[in-house]
Amino acid sequence: MERTVTIVPEDGLHARPAAKFVTTAGEFDAEITVATEENGPVNAGSMISVTTLDARQGDEVHLVAEGKDAESALDALEDVLTTPEGES
Amino acid sequence: MSAESVELSGVGVTPRTGVGNVIWYRGTADLSDLPDPKTVDTDAELERFESACERAHEELDAERERARERVGDDEAEIFDAHKAFLDDPAISGGVETAIENGLPAPHAVRQAFEDPIAKFEGLEGRTAERADDLRDIRDRLLRILTDRDRTDLSDLPDGTILLAERLGPSDTAQLDPETVAGFATVFGGRTSHAAIFARSLGIPAVVGVGDELAQIAEGRPVLVDGTDGLVVIDPDESARERAGDEKAEIITDHVGTRDGNEIEVAANVGTLAELDPANEAGADGIGLFRTEFLFLDRESPPDEDEQYDAYVEALSTFSNERVIVRTLDIGGDKPISYLDTPEEDNPFLGDRGIRRSLGTDADLFETQLRALLRAGTEGNLAVMFPLVSHVEELDAALARVEQVAKALDEDGIEYEVPELGVMIETPGSVFMAESLAERVDFLSIGTNDLTQYVMAASRENEQVADLHDPLHPPVLRAIHRTISAGHDGGAWVGMCGEMAGDPDLTELLVGFGLDELSMSAVTVPEVKSRVRETDSKEAEELAEQVLSVETREEVRKVEK
Repeated sequence: MERTVTIVPEDGLHARPAAKFVTTAGEFDAEITVATEENGPVNAGSMISVTTLDARQGDEVHLVAEGKDAESALDALEDVLTTPEGES
Repeated sequence: MSAESVELSGVGVTPRTGVGNVIWYRGTADLSDLPDPKTVDTDAELERFESACERAHEELDAERERARERVGDDEAEIFDAHKAFLDDPAISGGVETAIENGLPAPHAVRQAFEDPIAKFEGLEGRTAERADDLRDIRDRLLRILTDRDRTDLSDLPDGTILLAERLGPSDTAQLDPETVAGFATVFGGRTSHAAIFARSLGIPAVVGVGDELAQIAEGRPVLVDGTDGLVVIDPDESARERAGDEKAEIITDHVGTRDGNEIEVAANVGTLAELDPANEAGADGIGLFRTEFLFLDRESPPDEDEQYDAYVEALSTFSNERVIVRTLDIGGDKPISYLDTPEEDNPFLGDRGIRRSLGTDADLFETQLRALLRAGTEGNLAVMFPLVSHVEELDAALARVEQVAKALDEDGIEYEVPELGVMIETPGSVFMAESLAERVDFLSIGTNDLTQYVMAASRENEQVADLHDPLHPPVLRAIHRTISAGHDGGAWVGMCGEMAGDPDLTELLVGFGLDELSMSAVTVPEVKSRVRETDSKEAEELAEQVLSVETREEVRKVEK
């Protein structure tokens, strides 16, 4: 099961959004990888791997999930990637 | 500068200057005094590592709470990133393999972090700064594993200039702005977490100075100039005076232009923790008190009393000064679990601000107004409504205020209707500024959103970041039009966007005729001193020139 999502948070997939992404990936019974156009795929549960993708706001990321919770995991991760941060 | 003073340059991160005596912070990463690894009990070492991770998690939780109180919610989330790094299977896997290969836990930790740190160092920009986060986590584990006490950075002597190779967020978050006159580091960039914390705490800081910093001995007098990014060793009298002046530049009185035209310089705050620093920076009150923090990160909305207490706290911090509270500005982009905030295609153009307060969140709005009207008796309160785009919206909001006042009357509860105002951030409100001004006491221009809507360029989209600049003539004309129309309608007009806090634009904004400027607390002293240097007549001429040109390039030329 796979899905492509465009990153919304201003900081891209850096420290805070990345932490949220990795923690969310860890909550599901699924093997999940994440890739950008240039880098990856890497384990979505590894903070180091996810941060080194250097994915920025507006970049497309490709998610692949296998396992029992694959679909709900993809939904939750899409949610993290499309929720903007902070103040308006 | 005399011949004896030596200047080193780096990247200034907080626009302030401090002077004091050097204390070197060496961190805890040095394992040279640990005995060589000997044959180890693998199971015991694995267990030792596991319990060190648990302890690190506990520490990070505690530090997150502390940072939340001292620095703010957003910054505190940095510790969540540290927890995620700590839980990375690449780290724990690396440590476990090294232990299984015969290393004791501390040595295994040091080894397991080597590759990831090198990997980040090889990358560019902000990603490279994550290497600092990994070092911070590694050093935390090493300190716990070797039972060393943590160097207490929260209790440094008065007038300390802290020097270090690097400072991690857990180090910086401990610093007390009362005693630490400044810090400088060998490594680090403008967007490092240490820099972000320094700015939030208002501590003068210069990062990325380079190896030359190491030549400065413990105890030497040093000046840290965060504005120009300078570290001055043995500063002479004139440099010290400059720094002393800058500190004394915190002007607690209201200021006027050279020809006596008074301009209020206020601060924007988004949490209660920011009230005292704003007061200490000499702000003439609060020009934008965001109320979202009261509603976020919880299971149910704050009740009337809790809100009342928060507003009264702001009023008592700024007795005799005006505190402008913005009613809840929340929408599809900022989901709150207990509110029904459906996903929208264009959340910034959607159901947010006053729209929700008059619709879906009518009950929440009523509670907030009740708390505000009650707090109105405790000081100089003002209330403004966000995202108004036409007159009926304002009329509806004002009718709600009347209803709430009437209800309080009937309940026999003491209240006072505060000054009321409209935040000008939509083109609709710009065109109707005069009519809006006739109905309220003041207008306050929110330049961040106004720019977004005038230029039709989302603030969330990096591709159109260049359009998101208030120096584009259409935005400047919208601002000017609002000010004139607001005055014609009998209201005073302020500005609470980022633009107001840019000291290089103070003269222009005064020339436009603004009565008040509100900004983050750190820039209050600088803007106040710029106001005092301004001559109203010259400022008006500058404004006229800026309004006569048609491109941003020309605006920039005139502005210089």
